[in-house]
Amino acid sequence: MNTRLSPPTEELAIRILAAVPYKDRIPAGRLTPRLGITRGSVRGLPELHLYLAPDTRTLPGMNLERLADWIEQVIRDPELAGAVRAAARTAGSHVDGCMQVYELVGLRLDQAREATGRHEANAPIREES
Amino acid sequence: MAMYGYAGKILRLDLTNREVLVLNTEKYRGWGGGHGLGSALFWEFCRDKTIIDGRNPANVCVVATSPLCGTSVPSATGRCEVVAVGVGYDGISWFTRSGIGGRFSTMLKYAGWDAVVIEGRSEKPVWVDIRNDKVVIRDAAGLWGKDAWTAQQEIWSIIGSSAGTHNAWQDLADLKGADKQERKDEGRSTQKPAVMVIGPAGENQCHGALIHDAGNGAGQGGFGSVWGSKNLKAISVIGTGSIKVADPKALIQARQALKQKYITSYEKPDFRQWSRIGGLARPITQAPIPTDERRPQSCQGCVNGCRSRSNLGYGNESACQETSWYNEFIQKVAKNAKEFGELSLRVADLCQKYGINSFVLQTGLPWLEHLHEEGVLGPGKKIHSTLPWEKLGTLEFAEKLIHALSTKTDIGRDLAEGWVPAARKWGREKDLHTGAMQFSYWGCPEHGYDPRAELEWGYGSIMGDRDTNLHCFNFMFTTVSAAFAYSLPIRIEAEDLVRIQARKMAPYAKDRPEVFDFSDANMYSEAVAQLVRWQQHYCRFWKNSALYCDLKWPDLFNTNAPNREGATGSSDAGEQVFWNAVTGDAMTLEDGIALGRRIWNLDNAIWVLQGRHRDRVHFAPYVYETKYEKNELFPFYMWPCRDEKGKWAYTDLMGRSLDKKKFDEWKTLFYRLEGWNTKTGWPTRKTLEQLNLVFAAEALKAAGRLGEEEKA
Repeated sequence: MNTRLSPPTEELAIRILAAVPYKDRIPAGRLTPRLGITRGSVRGLPELHLYLAPDTRTLPGMNLERLADWIEQVIRDPELAGAVRAAARTAGSHVDGCMQVYELVGLRLDQAREATGRHEANAPIREES
Repeated sequence: MAMYGYAGKILRLDLTNREVLVLNTEKYRGWGGGHGLGSALFWEFCRDKTIIDGRNPANVCVVATSPLCGTSVPSATGRCEVVAVGVGYDGISWFTRSGIGGRFSTMLKYAGWDAVVIEGRSEKPVWVDIRNDKVVIRDAAGLWGKDAWTAQQEIWSIIGSSAGTHNAWQDLADLKGADKQERKDEGRSTQKPAVMVIGPAGENQCHGALIHDAGNGAGQGGFGSVWGSKNLKAISVIGTGSIKVADPKALIQARQALKQKYITSYEKPDFRQWSRIGGLARPITQAPIPTDERRPQSCQGCVNGCRSRSNLGYGNESACQETSWYNEFIQKVAKNAKEFGELSLRVADLCQKYGINSFVLQTGLPWLEHLHEEGVLGPGKKIHSTLPWEKLGTLEFAEKLIHALSTKTDIGRDLAEGWVPAARKWGREKDLHTGAMQFSYWGCPEHGYDPRAELEWGYGSIMGDRDTNLHCFNFMFTTVSAAFAYSLPIRIEAEDLVRIQARKMAPYAKDRPEVFDFSDANMYSEAVAQLVRWQQHYCRFWKNSALYCDLKWPDLFNTNAPNREGATGSSDAGEQVFWNAVTGDAMTLEDGIALGRRIWNLDNAIWVLQGRHRDRVHFAPYVYETKYEKNELFPFYMWPCRDEKGKWAYTDLMGRSLDKKKFDEWKTLFYRLEGWNTKTGWPTRKTLEQLNLVFAAEALKAAGRLGEEEKA
């Protein structure tokens, strides 16, 4: 994948690293053989990055088109949303799409940490809900 | 009758009078073992079968093995079945069951016992010390109040050899407290006793309390509370005997055939195989274990190794559910995958120590979070709770939650009586309508196989006594859906897959592939009823009584085998081949299913005495009133279905609800096929007589609950 994302402003970077209120979470199931499809949700991009992390035991079940809308409307990062949407549409499979989005989100988090000077890996910052 | 495979004796523990009695197994030989044996013993010794709460002193709990335990039958030798009236259901806690793996069943057999019947209630806490045929009910004052691991370790230290078990053979007669009189057994062992134990959750008689043997647990049913109500902390057993096998050569030949024909090659493994028995040993721990220094661990005698031990010092032997339920929340706080894995495994350890079944939290915790976020649960709220919700996802929150649930403190006070009863008490019945609370059947949480999509799971649960947790067919869903998710080639096309399976599904579904068609047009059909019957009857014997592992059997299709037919029912390595080799019987797969039907009908007779009526047999309202969210939790739920032209294809089952009226009509089909009265769901005399259950018919008649005969 060779996706370029322009560096976020500090204001956007803070949103990228933050957790959103419960009412704004996005549903995120998971398929685990024997356990079946378990329910879950994601409340921020750091959490999303862990959720999509490659794992041979389970498959993430998120709808990537809906995720793109969520990133656009809730996180308010239209550039990342566009990249996620493009990845979802061109991926060879659902798992391939999740992998591409995982890499995109990881890249965006690195950019956000750079912009804010917060270098702790994937540490979610919580907003008051 | 030959008693190959059996130890020959059944242990009766009368806790009220602190008496130990012995039964001869031969009288119960016709029930096979495990669940069948347990149901028969429950029927005989439970004097009041109308009880609806397992904490009633009249309740009888049976821990039963099978003839296969302690032998070398693949994925069957280390399992054990527990039956009793359960705890914490919605309304009536049914007579129910739970399976448990590990070492207990094998050790019990080696000590000379096929089952343990636990009756009455001890005045004070006790534990039971079994050393071959020496059985002592001991005072448990020093163990009560201790967590499951500590209690096990203390029992091991009590029974341990003074010379240590690592460097000397252990002579049971030399153990502390052993009877010094003349010995009947000359047994020696290097083994520790197998210890089934309850933790604080069981002692406090809380919902979801389970019975432990190391990383294994008899999870569903709330049997930890049953033991707690009887003041029974633990049963320890060490045995030095052996099991006589009728035809050892045939047993070894069947093992060889299984390995050569049905199990993937270790030299050239097929990682994308479609089979159940044929996979490589692989732990089913659902968290990333943060070390490579680990090895598989399995039930005694099993080759599968579905659990894991590592050099970490935590998370050992935890697998499956307890390593999954908190992960959604851990991902909100973990900094990386390593921290994620460590938190998940440490939380699993907490569940093990408290002796609580985390299964309820898989859907229960998101519901509690929902209540908290809605502002009705928290400090000073309508549902008062001082749990630190701002720390949800941390080890601290998990520990406080599990402590509350295991000690009847905080919200644990109300949840101890069952989660659906608590929802009603809290005025949250609406959550069962909206789906905010997904407890689908009998007050049990939805498993992950939504009843609106996967019919045999949902229908089987509601026609039974609990979340069915029978994975006979849903391997199709996970395997096919994973193939779609990766865009991998389909190893077996839908039409071939259902035909291959149906070949093995005598007597109800032989060569009737339409039983697998879960399309909208077929979802309330007689065919689907036959599938549910086959699964229940097959499992009541082969899985719950013979104790074949649910992870591996039945093996209906198998891409390792040249013709893609699985090992189930095969003449070289089918279930019946191993059974017959051990017992000397001449049973067929169908014979086992017929016996399973008899056992299932005995269970149903108990449920009817407890108050079962067809009007009670319904899912939670959300299953009818809301749709299974299309494309929200996973992109698809693939299953073989026919289209309008009868053409088979893998089809997405998401996006629908169940129709209450049509499901009610489906129940009529099911009752008719079972020979039960369609207006009540009660069995008829004719049916019970056909199944040689006249005694059950008499009991139902006396209770005014025998189903009326109906015209064909």
